[in-house]
Amino acid sequence: MEKLRSIMLACVGFALFLGLWEIGGRILGSALLAPPSAVAVDYVDLLRQGDMLRELAGSLRQMAVGFLAACIVGMPLGVAMGRSDVADAIFRPWVSMFVVTSTAALIPLFILTIGTGFMLRVTIVFLASVWYIVLTAYNGARGVSPMQVAVARSFGAGTLQIFWKVTLPAIYPFLITGARIGLVHAIRAMVLAEMFVIIGYGGLIHRSGLLVDTGPVLGLLITLMIVSLFFNWLLGEAGRRLAPWYEQQRVTL
Amino acid sequence: MSIQALEDRRNGAGPSGSSSFNVIAAGILAGRRWLSVVSVIVVLALWQWGSSHVSGMLLPSPVEVIGKFLDPSWLARLMSALGQSLIQLALGFGLTLALAVPLGIVIGRSKLMRQMFEPLITAIYAIPPVAFVPFLVVWFGLFLEARVALVFLMSFFDVLIVMIAGARDVRRSLIDVGRSFGARNGQRLRLIVLPALMPFFVAALRVGSARAINGMITAELLFAAVNLGGLMKRSTQQFDTAALLSVVLLICLLGLVAQSLIAMFERRILHWHVRK
Repeated sequence: MEKLRSIMLACVGFALFLGLWEIGGRILGSALLAPPSAVAVDYVDLLRQGDMLRELAGSLRQMAVGFLAACIVGMPLGVAMGRSDVADAIFRPWVSMFVVTSTAALIPLFILTIGTGFMLRVTIVFLASVWYIVLTAYNGARGVSPMQVAVARSFGAGTLQIFWKVTLPAIYPFLITGARIGLVHAIRAMVLAEMFVIIGYGGLIHRSGLLVDTGPVLGLLITLMIVSLFFNWLLGEAGRRLAPWYEQQRVTL
Repeated sequence: MSIQALEDRRNGAGPSGSSSFNVIAAGILAGRRWLSVVSVIVVLALWQWGSSHVSGMLLPSPVEVIGKFLDPSWLARLMSALGQSLIQLALGFGLTLALAVPLGIVIGRSKLMRQMFEPLITAIYAIPPVAFVPFLVVWFGLFLEARVALVFLMSFFDVLIVMIAGARDVRRSLIDVGRSFGARNGQRLRLIVLPALMPFFVAALRVGSARAINGMITAELLFAAVNLGGLMKRSTQQFDTAALLSVVLLICLLGLVAQSLIAMFERRILHWHVRK
């Protein structure tokens, strides 16, 4: 009952938003703000032309490379920093420096040094997401309950055993959360880099922006939204499968 | 408990920190900081060594970058560009705070509002703000208005989401205590809810300011290239990587300064709150 009520209310929220948008769009016209009814028509066109999905697939493939690299580097690094004061001291200055540096500022630098090809997008996506993955893993590793570790030790577990059986499972939820936050930043970085060099999906957005009609741009944004929500949901599901204690320990984004 | 112990607790020291323990802790801390310094020096040395083996266009040495940064005529240009950039940062981020903070409190305090708008906000948040750029061009052109709009758009939802989470989690018991001591609605808001929200406000500032700085530089590069973005674009065209890196260094410093100003603000107004 409660669940049904919240779904209904969410629908009311969306309906209100779409209604206001429709009214605003009708008043301003498609050149300034295409109303949802017009965007729906444009969206079918975008699907039929096939450019959108093809560019999307290509861009996501490159993003996945950068994002996976960020997970492979970021997760162990964050755990190491959280569990070892020495690692923390060595990497902390770099992490806190990079995390505040805007990725956008690095793009001209990388265009100059590695060009505008495949590596540019991979590098930008990596640099945009890795620090969030590191910091979330770090917080998780810091927060492992000393009591659980002490219990394992008093049952005779060795250092390695404690790490594999107690520390790591306690950190899983944070790794998943880190991946979710990192993914949001990875998608943002992908679009940013592509709009910069006008290539892939971001390039498509840029080119559609030159049209007189705002409908296609809004359609492209909606696809991005769906993709982002889908991957976020997928990672959440993965978290629930891999670590059923994920929900309880879930940290707020 | 003595006044001194209370003072200690307020200042964040434990109630019974024995002095020998403090000395050891300070020693360990100093040791760790020493490691951080070594790490920075080692990387800078490696960079210096590596840059002597490749062309200066690909990788200028740290000495060159610092030299360019401190070069008086270049520094003057950097500073005047930074001043201009900060104006749009202040306008955009100010707009975000003025709108997102009250809106977040209103939505967060009401279960009905949360159920109605949280899914919508999550959906909109999932769209990379930068993808709105073509749209912003149509609405605001290529200059100051568009840049302010992008700064606003890039920071608005991050601040809003933190404030909603904060307003939702104000402890029921605190409000009940206020009510049983006869606090009226307005008083409860002013004396209980708002102070309880301060830690979240600081968190929103921390997240939002980083996003806003990101938006600032993104806007200066993606719309008409001006200010710091303009300097970057010109350096790129002249293949002057050292100049480019000096701008990156300035942006990095700006981020660090913003974070430490917020940390100072936090220590001043939130001495009663222990950050987890």
